[in-house]
Amino acid sequence: MSPSTVVRVQWILTWLLPSAHAEALLGDLLEERRLRLQLHVSSPASVARWHWMQLALSLPVLLWASFYRRSSFLTLGTAVVSYLAAGGVVFVLRAALLPMTTSTFARTVIDVLLCGVLAMTAAGYVAASIRPGAAPLLAVLVLVAMSMMMAFDLAGVPLWYEGSFLVIGSLAPIAGAALSRRWRKA
Amino acid sequence: MPRGEFLGSLEQIVMLAVVRLGSDAYGMTVRREIEERTGREISIGAVYATLERLEAKGYVSSFTGEPTAERGGRAKRHFEVEAAGLQALSASQEALRSMSVGLSRRWKRA
Repeated sequence: MSPSTVVRVQWILTWLLPSAHAEALLGDLLEERRLRLQLHVSSPASVARWHWMQLALSLPVLLWASFYRRSSFLTLGTAVVSYLAAGGVVFVLRAALLPMTTSTFARTVIDVLLCGVLAMTAAGYVAASIRPGAAPLLAVLVLVAMSMMMAFDLAGVPLWYEGSFLVIGSLAPIAGAALSRRWRKA
Repeated sequence: MPRGEFLGSLEQIVMLAVVRLGSDAYGMTVRREIEERTGREISIGAVYATLERLEAKGYVSSFTGEPTAERGGRAKRHFEVEAAGLQALSASQEALRSMSVGLSRRWKRA
């Protein structure tokens, strides 16, 4: 695992676990990985696969535990309210910005990048400031909403628009939460 | 233990592993012990989530060990069962035993 990947995984884990536990969890995985390689119980590729499977299986469990620990209903409520508020902000931004151009491409870029991402980043920032667990939940809400829109073609917009918002829009609340954490630390 | 609160099956299994391992109880040894004894595959995340829940209930406590090179300079988090945890574990096991009395013939029939 490259150092940058370790940093990224650690960042996600410190979100979901108390930091001492996240440190220990990563250390445990590394120790077991080295042990498996030393004992030659399986090939290096399958040991690496085992490592990633452990992380992949651990994240949903830890996400759920973190959600539960941080008073689930308040967290869920914060995420839903933030999502609705972001919808309102998108509506206002669209009304203000879209009449500025007639190009379909420019309108879509403004719609996705400026309105959608800006609103979701702000929503993630606010949600994380109120309840730290609400921002990842907001990201999940965006992911689910966009997946449903894509599956049932509810928005009537190009697939690339929905696809890009599915990815960028889901990451935006996490970026907002990171900004909020940085702001609080400063 | 508050009245009516019993440990879940994974909580019991994790606590039993911690008791068995004694001073060597940390995330990965607990996971390995469970896998070896029960044949049940369990993720390290599930072990930590359960241990954290048990710690919040005051049934286990944890402390940080020394960082080691084979762990990439990361410290172990050791766990030990508290008196309240042993009491809860014993009560949960006793409840299961009481509920199972006289039913062994039914398992055999199934």
